[in-house]
Amino acid sequence: MIILVMAWRNIWRNKVRSAIIMCSVAIGLVAGLFVLSLYKGILEDRVSTVIHTEVSHIQLHHPKFKEDYEAKFVVARTDSVLSKLRGVPGIKSISARTVSQGMLMTGTGSTGLQIIGVDLANEKLVSQLDSKIIEGAGFGGKRKNQIIIGKKLADKMHLQRGNKAVLTFIDPESNIVSAAFRIVGIYRTDNAPRDERLVYVQRDDLNSLLAIGASAHEIAIILDDVNSVEATASSIKALFENMQVETWSEISPETKLMIDTTDSYSNIFIMIIMLALSFGIINTMLMAVLERSREIGMLLAVGMNRAKIFSMILTETIFLTLTGTPLGILITWLIVQIYQTKGIDISSIGGMTMSEFGFSSMIYPAFPWEKMPNELMIVTGAALFSALIPAIKAIRLKPVEALQK
Amino acid sequence: MWLALAWKNLWRNKNRTAITISAIFFAVILSVSASSLQDGVFDNFIRNMVGYYTGYIQVHQRGYWEHQVLDNCLSQNPTYEANLNSLSNIAAVAPRIESYALASSDETSRGCLVVGISPDEENKITSLQKRIIAGSYFARADSNAVIVSEGLLKRLDLRISDTLYLISQGYHGSMAAGKYPIKGIMKFGAPELNDQLVFMPLKTAQEFYSAPGLLTSYVLGLKTDSKLSSTVGAVTELSAGMEYEVMSWKELLPDVDQHITMDKASMFIILIILYLLICFGIFGTLLMMTVERKYEMGMLVAIGMKKWKLAMLFIIESLLSVLLGCLAGLVASIPIVYYLKEHPIRIGGELAESFKRFNFEPVFPASMELATFLTHGAIVFCIGLILSVYPVIVALRINPVRAMKK
Amino acid sequence: MVPMLSLLMALFSYLQHQELTAQQVVQKATDKMRGETSQASLTIRTVRPTWNREMKVKTWTKGEKFAMIVVESPAKEKGVAFLKRNKEVWNWIPTLERSIKLPPSMMSQSWMGTDFTNDDLVKESSMVEDYDHSFRGDTIISGRNCHIIQMIPKPEAAVVWGKLIICIDKDDFIELHTRFYDEDGTLLNTMNAYDIKLMDGRLIPTRMEMIPADKPGQKTVLIYSNILYDKPLAETFFTLQQLKTIN
Repeated sequence: MIILVMAWRNIWRNKVRSAIIMCSVAIGLVAGLFVLSLYKGILEDRVSTVIHTEVSHIQLHHPKFKEDYEAKFVVARTDSVLSKLRGVPGIKSISARTVSQGMLMTGTGSTGLQIIGVDLANEKLVSQLDSKIIEGAGFGGKRKNQIIIGKKLADKMHLQRGNKAVLTFIDPESNIVSAAFRIVGIYRTDNAPRDERLVYVQRDDLNSLLAIGASAHEIAIILDDVNSVEATASSIKALFENMQVETWSEISPETKLMIDTTDSYSNIFIMIIMLALSFGIINTMLMAVLERSREIGMLLAVGMNRAKIFSMILTETIFLTLTGTPLGILITWLIVQIYQTKGIDISSIGGMTMSEFGFSSMIYPAFPWEKMPNELMIVTGAALFSALIPAIKAIRLKPVEALQK
Repeated sequence: MWLALAWKNLWRNKNRTAITISAIFFAVILSVSASSLQDGVFDNFIRNMVGYYTGYIQVHQRGYWEHQVLDNCLSQNPTYEANLNSLSNIAAVAPRIESYALASSDETSRGCLVVGISPDEENKITSLQKRIIAGSYFARADSNAVIVSEGLLKRLDLRISDTLYLISQGYHGSMAAGKYPIKGIMKFGAPELNDQLVFMPLKTAQEFYSAPGLLTSYVLGLKTDSKLSSTVGAVTELSAGMEYEVMSWKELLPDVDQHITMDKASMFIILIILYLLICFGIFGTLLMMTVERKYEMGMLVAIGMKKWKLAMLFIIESLLSVLLGCLAGLVASIPIVYYLKEHPIRIGGELAESFKRFNFEPVFPASMELATFLTHGAIVFCIGLILSVYPVIVALRINPVRAMKK
Repeated sequence: MVPMLSLLMALFSYLQHQELTAQQVVQKATDKMRGETSQASLTIRTVRPTWNREMKVKTWTKGEKFAMIVVESPAKEKGVAFLKRNKEVWNWIPTLERSIKLPPSMMSQSWMGTDFTNDDLVKESSMVEDYDHSFRGDTIISGRNCHIIQMIPKPEAAVVWGKLIICIDKDDFIELHTRFYDEDGTLLNTMNAYDIKLMDGRLIPTRMEMIPADKPGQKTVLIYSNILYDKPLAETFFTLQQLKTIN
């Protein structure tokens, strides 16, 4: 008890020193947590770009469909599949798509592409197609054969909103089907090659041209929580045995690779930052002990035993860490709150110009709640470890020498 | 005289000096190894991505990249090749001719990318031989056989030594058709490559496409990848007067470049945070040092030492200790970075799986560049000096009576 | 009675001539060129700014649905044959000794390096059915009186053009000149026909040029050396078996 009181008093006795150590802990925590927030922001952004515009969380196909994109390999009894899927917990939105490999022709040229038939109302909840449209309003009115094409394709084929394009594709009986479509919108995502290759039409139009009734080739699913992808995928697999069920990481392994790389090396740099923090605290504490050598020598001289001095210095550090920690968390939380919605424009950093980036040079940090326990342990551990060396140093002091100075 | 006095002062309290110097020392080590690791991770990632198929630099006929058809071929040019090879940073020059074709088996047909390669040169850049999972690599440059990517083969339902039928449009609208025995199978992690690549020796491909002596590209491998931009400059200069376009991987793989630029920028933020911590560590040390030496300062001023002289002394002391710390840190970081380069950090878990899938080695090696050492040594030196202003200010404003009261 | 009848006939045909709609004129011109069946030998010349290529082929057609093309020269491609049955195209390649059905991915590719695509071989659009035709005046081409007819695609028709201007000889129903526009009125392609000769009893142009407007120095020329019309050709002629043995 006496040690607690002494430690408490010591903290208040030398406010400058205490403030420095407290700030070291707080700043270390802020640094570590902020770096984690940045990475979480980057990763979430990247995953969600890929998931929410391209692959979605889970996709269902006829097991043979993706081999050759043949129109006949539809999801069997699409309607009943859809209604069964609606009963699966954790699913947020579902879009049934009719997919056809085909060709777009204009008077001056033609190009191969993938035609995706969607119900915009469902599709926008899965791929946010509506928010990517930069010209026009998307599908509207009763008019048949409307098409939304990518900006890149529009530029390549010199197409504009209101123009006509002829789509040619193969129906389930291997007949070639052609139809004229009217461009009602132009979309743009960050992935230009994809914008050149994918066009969207209304599913009813495509289905009637393909004569496949209400069937679909692809069912794209968005879940409430990205972490439940594997679990939900396996429960969907159990529901539909004869279907190909893939998660986003199976559909896009490159994205997975990039994300895992970022995730992994962020951990290494967290370690380095923690090392820097520890060195800072150790040095500061060491200096503090030097400064206090007279005081400690005195305590030793008046008969306080070394174990008590040791625990006194440790207790002091623990107090300071305990005060520094919530401060650090609070500051980080505040910073993240500010930048979470505003974003950090990294194009202004390091002299790199906006043109070097695509459209998303913004980082929106996200507070890494799930990594908090780990982070707290590391910081507290670093602080305690840093206190150990000075504490050992302190009990090794010889009272006479220390007082002499 | 000043120097000697400062030097003596440093030695007088070894403990304190050691702590100050170690603050600088660790700062240098940390910042140097952090940025070496950082550069190394990116370089390695680029090396992996580029070594996958694209190469660091490609040379095409002007206009080929915009409109990738055989009619935009360039003529094989031995003089030019020799000139390229004689450039100091060029490790290999691999000629390629590539175009899309229809591959078919008895059952089915499917689009593919038929690439004619020079087996030895190609292997130096993309290590194709390592990707063989069955059968063998081209032993001779004129063998009339193909190596097919695993995914394509599976979809065509073919096996080793079966016949692959290829049809396409050749040079100047001619018809390209041929049948070839399958000699080997290659596996690529990226589905778009694994599902459509067919390799054959250059001569065979030129015959297939009716394009004797023609190439779509020269793919260049580098000895030192950090000299990319100067090498691009040298190649461009070499290609002056010829209708060639010289493109670096940044133009060939803009999405990878963008990803890396993004990551580098975020890394920059992390370096700033690291430096912030370093500043704070050094400052904390200096602050405590000042607190500890207040008595001494007060004493010196009380016995008549001019304050500016005291400040001068402190400046020189700081200069010496910062310098010592920096030098020691630089010397100590050389073996550390070297170790991290030679024995790179191995990664496990999911990432190792993803890396394996792409045939990348799951490691994070550090890069060892003189510039990194010097830059970060200099930055820490400056930070140390700037922060040393604090004890100087304290010395200038010292009130001897109050300082000695304690 | 007989003169009376012939007079009536003459009057009838006169009236009929007068009453021809723009659509009927186009119909007559198309029917004339195509016939019930046709067998032709022709040279296809591909002209590019830096190179030229000449190919001799033989063709057989029956209505819109069936066609066969066999390449006779150059030597490297001799025997390469194409069969169109309804909307499918098969390609016989002698060096591979097999025929391959052209997949949709190859449809947009140029046919044998010409300004035609594989898809042009199977295109379903019909000059008669898919357009609204109207007269737009008269003109004289190579000394022949021609109708100028404007053709606007019907809204639902799978036609890439926005408008066609076609010039057809008034007496002999020969399509002499066609301009293809997009919907903004930009000229995309021009077709000119020359060298009108009597072939198997029909007066037809024997040289046709297709000139893309946006590619200077580029065109494709078809030169007919011989055409036979309306010789009986069974549907069984247009089979994969025939494709292999046609040479």
